[in-house]
Amino acid sequence: MIKMIAYRLASGVITLFLAAFFVFFAVQALPGDVAEQLLGQNATPEAVATLREQLGLDAPVWLRFVQWLGGAVTGDFGTSLVSGESVSSELWSAFGNTLLIALPAIVVGIGLSVALGVLAGARRGTTTDSSISVVALVLMSIPEFVVATVLVLLLAIMVPIFPAVVLQGSEATVTELLPSIVLPALTLVIAMAAYIIRAMRSSTIDTLASEFATTAELKGVRRRQVLLRHVLPSAVLPVLPVISINVAWLLGGVVVVESVFNYPGLGKLMIDSVSTRDLPVLQAIAVLSALVYVVVNLLADVLALLLDPRQRSLESSTRRRRKQEVTP
Amino acid sequence: MVPTISRRQALTGLLGGAAALGLGSACGAPALQLNEQAATGQPRAGGVMRIARPAASAAETLDPASSLSAYEYLGAIYNRLVRLDRNGETIPDLALEWSPNSDATVWTFLLRAGVRFHDGRPLTAEDVRYSVLHILDPDTASPQAGPLSIIDEIVAVDDTTVRFVLGTPNAEFPSLLTAYQCYIVPADSAATIGSTGIGTGPFALTSFAAAGAGSVIANPDYFDGAPALNGIDFYSIQDTSARVNALLARQVDLLSQTNLDNPTARVVASSNGTTVASVPNAQWYTIPMLATSAEFADPDVRMAMKLAYDPTAILGTALQGTGTAGWDNPVPPELAAWADVPRAHDPEQARSLLQKAGRADLSLPIYTSAYEPNLTAIATAYAEQVSAAGINLQITNVAADSYYTEVWMVQSLMVSYWFTGRPIDQLLNQIFRSGSSYNESAWSNERFDQLLDSARADLNEESRRSKYADAQRLIVEDSPELTPVFGDRLVGLSEEVVNYDEYGFEMDYLRLGLREA
Repeated sequence: MIKMIAYRLASGVITLFLAAFFVFFAVQALPGDVAEQLLGQNATPEAVATLREQLGLDAPVWLRFVQWLGGAVTGDFGTSLVSGESVSSELWSAFGNTLLIALPAIVVGIGLSVALGVLAGARRGTTTDSSISVVALVLMSIPEFVVATVLVLLLAIMVPIFPAVVLQGSEATVTELLPSIVLPALTLVIAMAAYIIRAMRSSTIDTLASEFATTAELKGVRRRQVLLRHVLPSAVLPVLPVISINVAWLLGGVVVVESVFNYPGLGKLMIDSVSTRDLPVLQAIAVLSALVYVVVNLLADVLALLLDPRQRSLESSTRRRRKQEVTP
Repeated sequence: MVPTISRRQALTGLLGGAAALGLGSACGAPALQLNEQAATGQPRAGGVMRIARPAASAAETLDPASSLSAYEYLGAIYNRLVRLDRNGETIPDLALEWSPNSDATVWTFLLRAGVRFHDGRPLTAEDVRYSVLHILDPDTASPQAGPLSIIDEIVAVDDTTVRFVLGTPNAEFPSLLTAYQCYIVPADSAATIGSTGIGTGPFALTSFAAAGAGSVIANPDYFDGAPALNGIDFYSIQDTSARVNALLARQVDLLSQTNLDNPTARVVASSNGTTVASVPNAQWYTIPMLATSAEFADPDVRMAMKLAYDPTAILGTALQGTGTAGWDNPVPPELAAWADVPRAHDPEQARSLLQKAGRADLSLPIYTSAYEPNLTAIATAYAEQVSAAGINLQITNVAADSYYTEVWMVQSLMVSYWFTGRPIDQLLNQIFRSGSSYNESAWSNERFDQLLDSARADLNEESRRSKYADAQRLIVEDSPELTPVFGDRLVGLSEEVVNYDEYGFEMDYLRLGLREA
């Protein structure tokens, strides 16, 4: 198991490097650069050239990439080309804000959708099942910006309970942000719940049909006990990848949702840096998002191992078999 | 204002006629009915207004000379020497009177006495000298440095007299100082003005964060009396729909720099507590045809592109009547210098001109983007119009964030826009003169440039105006720039707002207020 984690960590580092590499050169390929974006319509060729020189953009692309990578390894992401502030501080404060909406969304979203999925699976074919499934299907097919807009319309404009947007910028304090996290978090719950419900439902149905579940039922264990004790732990295993993808998506900054609510998180920081071609900020975000993906997926795998002893033995037996194949 | 209203009413009647003929029935929606202007009335004492604005970028600054200035703040905290009125005339602000020497090469301005900056320092001629030198400093990279480069020397004669010595005669020189980069800042403040915002304006800065929130508070010592509002809170909301949501949810009272598209304007106008005011002809829409391109180097092809379309139809379909037809004269009809240059709508003649030029099968892309909500509608309406003359334009929609770096002045045909509110001399020189960095159609006409020079040197009001009229005629007849329409800017605001008015890149911050409870 330790070996598995070490192997995953090593591949994670390679993933991070590739993410940084591709983002760097993708942004190079975008039309226009930060000097042109900053000066906008007022750009004269001389002004653009001066600004490029000031920002160090006249150095060769490869050199800039290597310099940046050297700093990033030591946690120094450089300074933003646009604001002149340290990228790390901007990055962590935006990530903190994203956590503020993502964590409640994850806790509520996973809890709720696992419960609903099990319920729908256990009552397969009933009205409960079909209503849960239909609602989940409908929500899956609505883009999150529509969900966000409808929520704003209902809960901020028609019945003004929550603020529609965050008025303070990135300098907002946690207490100022608190009333504003409800609608974005709710949007995220709705956006992610549907997938988990669908996965959980079919996994519950499969597990209920398995030998151990039918045996338990035949032995006279109460239905509720069967579901919670026997079915749920096994049924959740195949759903873990779905959950981890959703969690990584949330933590990586949800671009559209943050934009609709003017929420000063990682996603909004990313939009702003794309439109101004602020390369250092963009790369730092890409690396952080990749890091979140790697860590969350690793955690999901470890969790799966802990939940299921069979997988643990399966893992070690395959490794043993492989070793036998190699040794003559 | 009176002639403006009657002209607009006449236009509405005309549009009604067009709709009856079936032009407007295609889209099914009735023409947008909006307030002519914001509500007026007695503002309540001590109101604080909340304004949402789209921030330029995290590098924005309060330095008015910079191309990255947070421009909503500027009019609240600073004053210029002179400003523009609705007719495009230069009127006093910090300068009470000004006069040229006999050949308009030396201009002397007399300042108001007793004006103080927010930090208590008195305003002197030295501050004016410093502010203009700061604009001219190459390190500032100010967009106004070009037009002001005709200044050879600035002399602070005494505390309230400042003298500008020009390299060439210029009868319109004071109008160049009405640009929104020309706000007066205290001497020796270049290093700090971007964050301190110390000016002489009706409001004093209390806080400012680039691309973030900030606020200003009423300046009780303002020379023209204290403003109606007690203060203004500015918030930065980048996404247009988020900005509209903030208004609908009553989190803010006014959306600045936001021209609502027609469907959104309908929603805001019909929602509870919010309304839409229009700033007449605030958007000057253009279709520059690049004179250096293979297609438009030929004046016959350019003329055909003009004759082939009817601006009133574009006004009706693309803007649903909220504006004025342009007929390819770039000068907004409000300006006193506006000249009536008749131009025919004649697709048949356009066709024969194209035949003569050997371009009977003219077909090319017309570029547009979501940079401004009306660009695509105008491109579509124009392409539809010119198809009658056999011109085939393919609407090509590209990314908004690189539109002005990759398409503007690069592709041969695109839709663009400017804000109106420029004085006539600056408008013609900056956008149409050969070699100007803003000359978006790359037009070069020797006679036109000579006309502008001779107008500048001409101190006689009447003959100068006739030269500007000749210049407008030349633009309509020869230039590669189309002006299909001037559009009203549709501004979303709360029904609480009174006396909202905006002109020449500046709101009327002195009278702006909130309705009495």
